Amino acid sequence: MSKPKLAYYLAGGCGGCDIAVVDLSETLVDVALAVDIVFWAPTVADAKYKDLEAMPDGSIDVGLISGNIRNSEHEHIAHVMRKKCKTLIAFGICATNGGIKGLVNLYTTQQLLEKAYIDTLSTDNPNKELPQTSITLDGKYELTLPSLMYARPLNQVVNVDYYIGGCPPHYEHVKKAFTALLSGQLPPPGSWITMGKAVCEVCGRNPVLQGKPKKFATTVKRTIEGVPSEDGCLLEEGYLCLGPVTQGDCGSKCPAANVPCRGCGGPIPGVKDYSLRAISAIASMLENEELVEQIPDPIHLFYRYTLPSSFPYKRLKS
Amino acid sequence: MKKIEINPMTRLEGHGKITIFLDEQGNVDNVFMQVVEFMGYEKFLIGMPIEEVPRTVSTICGV
Repeated sequence: MSKPKLAYYLAGGCGGCDIAVVDLSETLVDVALAVDIVFWAPTVADAKYKDLEAMPDGSIDVGLISGNIRNSEHEHIAHVMRKKCKTLIAFGICATNGGIKGLVNLYTTQQLLEKAYIDTLSTDNPNKELPQTSITLDGKYELTLPSLMYARPLNQVVNVDYYIGGCPPHYEHVKKAFTALLSGQLPPPGSWITMGKAVCEVCGRNPVLQGKPKKFATTVKRTIEGVPSEDGCLLEEGYLCLGPVTQGDCGSKCPAANVPCRGCGGPIPGVKDYSLRAISAIASMLENEELVEQIPDPIHLFYRYTLPSSFPYKRLKS
Repeated sequence: MKKIEINPMTRLEGHGKITIFLDEQGNVDNVFMQVVEFMGYEKFLIGMPIEEVPRTVSTICGV
């Protein structure tokens, strides 16, 4: 039997998800031997977009896309990947929900470009030039750039078969996902590949798992204020932690390192809008309403990884 | 003028494209390297508490 064919495309991401796959270390050898990698660009293999475009439709068994869809090139290659791949997976929180890079949707393209190319202190751009989608230099060199778009998760562009959260997905979780993929033991299409537990359910700081009662938070603190206890719940101590609503396939690595969860794992099963559920969860764990006023910078907290997939944002766009 | 596009540049993080222009004799006349993506961290970080910035900007490049 021939090996399953695998393709990987990094769209508007950072390559961290690619590194999460490489972090499989010895397991990566098994995976690499078990599959035929036909395309992995731009990070790992020396493949070009025209090579992918030339492959027969439906000829690739599994395609992974990390990163959100942010420009016309990402959009085009996402459509090509969908045509060539039998199963398409949104890999990592940018592809599933928009990710940190989805925060660009707080501003217009013009505002973003002006800040980066004109207004920053370190920028030297006296003619205030901004990137153009096409330009002719010296009257003869025609150059093009993809056009920028607001950021979208993959499922707002093409049909997605499976979702894997994380920024990046923890390599132990990647290992489980690849094992499930290679053995064909997958949930119904449209599902997240996750164990289904929240960060709190695997968190060593969870008082309930220690047989203690859960308490309301009586203060709201920034992480630079004070020092968290060694094994107490960060949320009870006032450090806003999104563990209650976030997939815990990471094994609760951030709270174990005294850092509150920011939600990169994506929504726990049954949650359609991560940010709204996170707001509701945090609000229900504060002792009184006045504490809500003290939440620092709510938009970057609750929408850090999920702005382009949130209900209010989608409603605004439509 | 003949144009050769190498897209994408590979084995790196970030999206780049190389365009090579050849003259009538087929010799290289000019070469351009373009970074074809734009992120916008300079703008969307505004308002974020400083202690949250390191774990956020680590996603500029994850390699």
